[in-house]
Amino acid sequence: MPGRGIIILLALIWSSLSICTASVVRPISEAHRSAALELFVPFDGSFGSLEDIYAAFRTLEILGLEKTQDVSDVACESVVDKLGSPSSTAKDLFYALKVNSILRCQAETIKFEEIASKLQTVLKSASSLPDFYYSIGSLLLIKNQGFEVLLSDAAGAFQSIKAFSQSDGRWRYDSSSAESSTYAAGMALEALAGVVSIADSEVDKSMIGVVKNDIVKLFDSIKSYSDGTLYFDDKYVHTNDYRSPLEISASVIRGVTAFAEVASGRVNIPGNKVLGVAKFFLSLGVPGTSKDLFHQIEALSCLENNRIYIPLIISLPATVLSLTSRDQLKVDVTSVFGVPAPPLTVKLLQAINSNSDGKPNIENQELYFDQENSIHYLDIASLKVDVGKYNLIFEASLHDPVAEKKYATGGRTSFSAFFTGSIQIDQAELEILNSDGDSIETIESLDLSKDSSLSLSANHLQTFRLSFQPTTPLGHAFKPHQVFLKLRHETNVEHIFLIESSARQYKLTLDFLGFVEKFYYLSGKYDIELFVGDAIMENSFLRTLGLVELDLPEPPEKAPQAPPQPIDPYLRYGPKAEIRHIFRSPEKRPPKELSLAFFALIFLPLLGFLIGLVRLGVNLKLFPSSPGPVAFSLLFHTGIASVLLLYGLFWLKLDLFTTLKILSFLGIFLVFIGHQTLSRLASTSAKVKSS
Amino acid sequence: MAKKFFCPLLLLLLLPESFSADNPTDRRLLILVDDLTIRSSHSLFFKSLESRGYSLEFRLADDPKISLQRYGHYLYDGLVIFSPSVQRFGGSLDQAAVLDFVDAGHDLILAADSSASDLIRGIASDSGVDFDEDAEAVVIDHVSYAVSETDGEHTLIAADDFIQSDVILGEKRIEAPVLFRGIGHSVNPSNTLALKVLSASPSAYSASPRAKLSSPSLTGSTIALVSVVQARNNARMLITGSLDLFTNRFLRSSVWKAGSSNKYEKSGNEQFVTEISKWVFHERGHLKAVNMTHHFVGEKTEPAVYRINDDLEYSIEIYEWSGTSWKPYVADDVQVQFYMMSPYVLKTLSTNLMGLYSTSFKVPDVYGVFQFKVEYQRLGYTSLSLSKQIPVRPYRHNEYERFIPAAFPYYGASFSTMAGFFIFTIVYLYNK
Repeated sequence: MPGRGIIILLALIWSSLSICTASVVRPISEAHRSAALELFVPFDGSFGSLEDIYAAFRTLEILGLEKTQDVSDVACESVVDKLGSPSSTAKDLFYALKVNSILRCQAETIKFEEIASKLQTVLKSASSLPDFYYSIGSLLLIKNQGFEVLLSDAAGAFQSIKAFSQSDGRWRYDSSSAESSTYAAGMALEALAGVVSIADSEVDKSMIGVVKNDIVKLFDSIKSYSDGTLYFDDKYVHTNDYRSPLEISASVIRGVTAFAEVASGRVNIPGNKVLGVAKFFLSLGVPGTSKDLFHQIEALSCLENNRIYIPLIISLPATVLSLTSRDQLKVDVTSVFGVPAPPLTVKLLQAINSNSDGKPNIENQELYFDQENSIHYLDIASLKVDVGKYNLIFEASLHDPVAEKKYATGGRTSFSAFFTGSIQIDQAELEILNSDGDSIETIESLDLSKDSSLSLSANHLQTFRLSFQPTTPLGHAFKPHQVFLKLRHETNVEHIFLIESSARQYKLTLDFLGFVEKFYYLSGKYDIELFVGDAIMENSFLRTLGLVELDLPEPPEKAPQAPPQPIDPYLRYGPKAEIRHIFRSPEKRPPKELSLAFFALIFLPLLGFLIGLVRLGVNLKLFPSSPGPVAFSLLFHTGIASVLLLYGLFWLKLDLFTTLKILSFLGIFLVFIGHQTLSRLASTSAKVKSS
Repeated sequence: MAKKFFCPLLLLLLLPESFSADNPTDRRLLILVDDLTIRSSHSLFFKSLESRGYSLEFRLADDPKISLQRYGHYLYDGLVIFSPSVQRFGGSLDQAAVLDFVDAGHDLILAADSSASDLIRGIASDSGVDFDEDAEAVVIDHVSYAVSETDGEHTLIAADDFIQSDVILGEKRIEAPVLFRGIGHSVNPSNTLALKVLSASPSAYSASPRAKLSSPSLTGSTIALVSVVQARNNARMLITGSLDLFTNRFLRSSVWKAGSSNKYEKSGNEQFVTEISKWVFHERGHLKAVNMTHHFVGEKTEPAVYRINDDLEYSIEIYEWSGTSWKPYVADDVQVQFYMMSPYVLKTLSTNLMGLYSTSFKVPDVYGVFQFKVEYQRLGYTSLSLSKQIPVRPYRHNEYERFIPAAFPYYGASFSTMAGFFIFTIVYLYNK
């Protein structure tokens, strides 16, 4: 256990000693200017409330951008309006005066003395920090306009504000609130700075010393990100009064720089902390909201010229340098707004290749200074450095020893940079070996600068071997990050093999016998693709080498199945093939003519029957002659004819029920008539016979 | 009393704002972030949403007051999770609640990065998308990376392998590559609901750039950079392993893909995220089908039953939501099935370009209970699945053909026999 403690202790010491690798922060650039023009777009001719108007004009002013006249006129109107209105609060007046200080609206219409006396009364009854902040801030702005402003009780005001301070350097908004806030600290310091600059002589010097201590304590509570940037933050309870670290840090920086400006003597804050905060603002890049952009730009403008330390940003315009195109290592040392630093020397203390074992490749190299572009540069190609990822440590030292006290360069600054180059690949060979391990079936030497189209064949008893040798421009062995071979079957089943390096050479040996199962017993064509790539390799490639026709044994039962391959979404969603119903074909029938011919033929027997009757000489001699029997006979035959006709009608149109109904009546009628007729005929014939 | 009246009134006022069948575009979005600075660093994306009429509500992902629903009603129509590193959501929100939200038909945008927590990975894998399990791994591409003076690790990728779909990515082709920095994911091949919208190039792989490579789990084009999922209830999800994809910096950045001669002033990110968010929030590709009708050819009214071999006409109207109104949907691949256990007829409908699709066909000579079925599933569109039942009966006894010529000889035979019988009765009775 003690051993572990020591390790932790060592780690802590190491971490405090080590230089944070700074992410590259760049000073304010054109991107900010174009973003400002995009974000601060007047809506209906105005930027909104006076606070927003101030943010817009202040940002544009700091960035040196033009403001359009009509927007200024509209803003001035509302400034004059607000300043003249008796109902304006101290906050309204404060922002109106701030906008006025930028735009310089018609001063003659504004009665500054009246406003000042109004603010004095606000100040007298002030009980919370914002009251003090706005009233003192406004009075200071009036003073800056060239009017005489007298604080009746400057020392008292100073004391009242100081009373809100907490032991950890933070401030409360008013005496009743329990919450202390870093944001309030910024406001308080700005207010105190205002008191001092309005009525310097009345403020106790020892009180200023106490406030300076508070500032130092405030900076002790600073927080840091992993990339070494420093910022202020508050714990907050509600989302509504949430303030971002940017806003809080901006408030602190505004307050601290304002106070340092008016306080006699130095505020004892380490230069690294000022630099860290400056880097925090810059690391945000280009903020996407107008508020954030304003806070960033305003805080940086406070840092650009302050009495504590002016941060100088060491930055690398490019961290990826090509050795092939002989790029120069350039270092920029500027203020946060990109203004060139005072004369200084930049030294590359160390450049360590991340692959080497801590031995620096370059040491103590002084960078040349290009007056014209005010940039420090070093020609790395001439230093015979190899490709690689380097850790560069720079140190900037100001020529003027007095300036050392004014500027913060942060001592050693470390960056990581990539020196890229073209990697040569030699002795690339592809072999198919027989099962005995020695005899070579096929050997092909490869040109890896372009795709090849080899056509190989192998069976499961043979061995596949690929070897090549990458070297750096300086002839050293090179180990790329991505070195693998991909075999892709026709069915898109892929197999990836990492290629291991031994000494200088990369070699992959595939004994197919051992891979039969992994290949799912899939015989057929496999595409061979070789991937060699690295961050510092300019000619990283993906080469198609050709194809190998593998002859693998038949899969045994229970062999693993190849995983399913994704279906092409374009095919999956396409329309389906149309389906037509195949109707049952109608029955085969003879042609109509034939049927009709047979129809005619079928009447021949009837015809023959009639002819036969005629030939036989039939007569109707038995037909009764007396009227009664004649009627019965006629009725009987009509009855038979009607039954037959009914059959005919049944065929033509009647249904069964109607037919049966009619038939039943006809039947009864026919039975009766038939009985009468037939019995009469029978008796007649009996008479004839007997006679 | 006044309060009682007031509340339903308020609800009525709010209702047209939200997602409904008549107005299928999301309106109220909840955006969960790790850090409220995202509001500023991703402001262009949020601004484009706001300008399209969405109301955004930002919350820290661990805010204890987050809840998606109140009294059983969802408070939001869409959820944007821009908080990759959150270990546990605050409030009542958890992984199951997010999935329930989607199951209720709401939409989700999920962006992770290399700090993706198990919670975020869990939500993704429950949606059918698996982020690389290696927590250190990011997508690296040494061949098609975006040339940058400050990024040397080739983790900033210029991806241009888009899905070919006008409905997902808009009609205007995205010319410039999309900048991507983050983790890759894979889509299960058996998952038919998830689609890779942006894939990595064949030379990409997913690994830690600082550690020695040991068998990368994801390589080549199987790496999905941005995927979308359209659930069966038409809820849409966008899942990506790059939160940076949406940043102002990437949206404004110029892009130069390594090895390409084209340098673009502006990356394709802005167009990409705008267009795909339109799709995710149902401003595009949301179809509705109305007025499914069928009738005999030449008639207007819908019969209750068809007889086999009848000729019928079928029509349906399909509209697409354009974000503000329903516009006629125009396509040439809408198909109708006449279905009983399996399709008997499958026919492509012809359109009048005003949203009306129609066709006519003959009812098959099989009777039973059929369905008119429209199963319309197209890449990126919400699926239409409609059916209407209709019985088909056989011929009635009196609907068959009478007086078949082929049977005339038989008729003739009967009638001639009958005539013969009649004559015979007379001759037989009265002949002497």
